[in-house]
Amino acid sequence: MNTYAASALQAAGTDASMVADLFWIMLWGAVLIWILTMALALYAVCRQPPRSSRRRWSMLLIAGGGVVVPTVVLGALLAQGLGTLTAMQRDADTLQIAVTGERFWWRVHYQPGGEDEVALANEIRLPVGRPAEILLNSPEVIHSFWIPALAGKTDMLPGRQTRLVLLPTRRGRFQGLCAEYCGSAHAQMAFTVDVVSEAAFSRWLNHQRAAARRQSAERHARGAALFVAHGCPACHTVRGTGARGVIGPDLTHVGSRPTLGAASLPMTQDSMQRWIRHPDAVKPGVLMPAFGMLTPDELAELSAYLLSLR
Amino acid sequence: MKSLPRHLLWFAATAVAVGLLITVAGLVPVAASKGHWAPVKRFLHFTMQRSVRTQARGIAEAPELDQPALIRRGAGTYAHNCALCHGAPDTDRASFARLMIPPAPELPPKISDWQTHELFWIVRHGIKYTAMPAWAASQRSDEVWAVVAFLRQMPGMSEQRYESLAYGNANPDGGAASTGLSACMHCHGIDGGGRRGTAPRLAGQKQAYLRASLREYADGRRPSGIMQPIAAALSERRIDQLAVHFSRLPPPPAVATESDREAAARGAQIARNGIAQRDVAPCDACHAPADGTAHPRYPWLNGQDADYLVEQLRLFRNRVRAQTPAAALMAAAARGLTAAESRDVSLYYQSAQTAPTDRAARADDSGHRPASGGHAN
Repeated sequence: MNTYAASALQAAGTDASMVADLFWIMLWGAVLIWILTMALALYAVCRQPPRSSRRRWSMLLIAGGGVVVPTVVLGALLAQGLGTLTAMQRDADTLQIAVTGERFWWRVHYQPGGEDEVALANEIRLPVGRPAEILLNSPEVIHSFWIPALAGKTDMLPGRQTRLVLLPTRRGRFQGLCAEYCGSAHAQMAFTVDVVSEAAFSRWLNHQRAAARRQSAERHARGAALFVAHGCPACHTVRGTGARGVIGPDLTHVGSRPTLGAASLPMTQDSMQRWIRHPDAVKPGVLMPAFGMLTPDELAELSAYLLSLR
Repeated sequence: MKSLPRHLLWFAATAVAVGLLITVAGLVPVAASKGHWAPVKRFLHFTMQRSVRTQARGIAEAPELDQPALIRRGAGTYAHNCALCHGAPDTDRASFARLMIPPAPELPPKISDWQTHELFWIVRHGIKYTAMPAWAASQRSDEVWAVVAFLRQMPGMSEQRYESLAYGNANPDGGAASTGLSACMHCHGIDGGGRRGTAPRLAGQKQAYLRASLREYADGRRPSGIMQPIAAALSERRIDQLAVHFSRLPPPPAVATESDREAAARGAQIARNGIAQRDVAPCDACHAPADGTAHPRYPWLNGQDADYLVEQLRLFRNRVRAQTPAAALMAAAARGLTAAESRDVSLYYQSAQTAPTDRAARADDSGHRPASGGHAN
């Protein structure tokens, strides 16, 4: 899968390309106006002053260059901008995803409110060519949801739901991030967005909806027991087991996620151990407490269990 | 005009030099056998009094000091830490206390010289250049208040009342002393039931938890001016024996009062489900009833004294008790609890009946430690 930088200029969605178009129009328009103005200024400096001033011609130049041209240019930009705005608010009754800005991670729900709601964290998948409406909430502080390559940024405000509609046009892995300073780990509050084919998407969503595989708990009995004994289920859910906590991220398929700790670490044994042992060192201000009492052996077993939840 | 300051300068320099000379020559008298010259003694005492009265201003917050459990806790602490030098209704102070300069005062008749908040200040901060030490855990003002609550009751107290407050029905010096248990029993009771809120209940508590708590008290990671001196004097072997002893006592029956029913019902909700919107984890996930899956380091709470639990939750929330990984977990879990909710959940656990099953208790006893036992530090 191609991975793309978090850049609004490498647009892979209709809204992002509108933003990109607007940017290029503004840039080239500004360059053109600057060149024209400089040329006129140079002309005015270099040319010999005429003996008899042609008053009518001068007035025309001043009125035309000072009033008519700016009005036309700004009017055109306004029209283009307003056009972009309505397009961004276009309604879509298709894929609905609710994203909540937590401290400092993203709680993701597919089909929110529905019977087959699926809880995920820090990971969004979208089918290519199908518009998605993203409902944005935040319980505590202001965050801003931004996938630069797919759409503009939208603030997440406590006490109010905001919406964002986007239409991805290119497959690949994109970066999403928080674009509003929200606290000590703001810079580590990121997520991945995978745009995949419609078929791959529904396969994936069905898999995510399913409970954790039983084999995981059997093969990793000791890790699973440690998970319960240390009280992890107080905050985390692993569907299909007794773990039903809702404070932290749902871990039912945590092993299948590309990253750990809201995209601060790659999903490996090593980073899982590092994370459990001292999450605060990876992400300052994180709410998850450190489990420094675990021995290296226990850490390895617990991590292996979690990574087996795919 | 100019010569006066220069004279003064010379005078000061000479005074300092002479002072230094006397010190270096070893002529300053420090013998306690001689004591102070009477006017100096009076002046020093006056200085101390003035200082305490001024420094103690602004101490406004005091808990309800007439609570019987608080007075008993203070009495037990006094008997262990203070009576030796200051005397008590049943004993005079030790003779060495009279030979200290200044001598430790025989306290019962002196208490009325001080106001409540001044007593608090003295117990908490101690007094420099006397043998009076500061409270071992300055963050634990709740413990200092317990001592003050007792001090206020002490003047005119009868010997019998004092002994029943401080020791309950445990023998003050005989019997249990030989097993090293007397210090525990005075506050926690012979049955480990905590003497009606004087101290937490220990009977039936998990060994690993008792062991870890004593170690943490000893090295100060669990701050307590009451438990620190007691725990620090225990050897590893003694800690093990005490943990085994108390874990094997039968847990006392739960206490439920009719008036607290509603609060306990609200607390039960929190214990089972937590408060998700404020990140309060469900307590039962770690302090679960005895199904054997809980970590041996996480204590049983069923039947525990509610006032003790409320106080511990406050210490967790204020991160006074958060120095060990396990305590840090609690600090995170309790962060969002309000004072009222702490009370509710504490009352729920006090009234919760389930005792650890035999199976779980035996597994804990047999020395077999599940996965992570004993690594609490």
